[in-house]
Amino acid sequence: MKVQDKAPLFAANAYLNGSFTTVNLADYKGKWVVLFFYPGDFTFV
Amino acid sequence: MFVHKVWEEQELSKISNIKMPFPMISDLNGAIGKKYNVYDETLKLNLRGTFIIDPEGIVQAAEIMSAGAGRSLSEIIRKIQAVQHVKCTNGKEVTPVNWEPGKQVLKPSPELAGNVWTVWKK
Repeated sequence: MKVQDKAPLFAANAYLNGSFTTVNLADYKGKWVVLFFYPGDFTFV
Repeated sequence: MFVHKVWEEQELSKISNIKMPFPMISDLNGAIGKKYNVYDETLKLNLRGTFIIDPEGIVQAAEIMSAGAGRSLSEIIRKIQAVQHVKCTNGKEVTPVNWEPGKQVLKPSPELAGNVWTVWKK
């Protein structure tokens, strides 16, 4: 990953609104996306 | 995924009365984190990385914090507004240091080189 390069694509399982689904970054083409990484649930920050 | 569900139900819902509107992705082995250079091999965790991707799939901004230090959401929003401004004007207007919406932008040109001080408002 480099800024000003293409964002690496991925598809993965996800939880949203009470159900499990999949998220594919390619589906968001045409929209602005913020990818927010964090170490884990139940951590303190 | 299952932990995301429990975390949302058990803790997040108590911190905020807004339901989490964004998908919470599962990256158990850090496959996605590795692509974005945020996976820490020693801790086996993703660091606090934030990436702003434009509608053409290009990374416009990146910010990484170590695991113990939280981000500033207002700064992330500011970053989004700044890269959106530059992109929407096709680079005709750029956002200088400490820019926030409503503040002065700069219009790059050969004439402006070395002369920013003539247009800069304190």
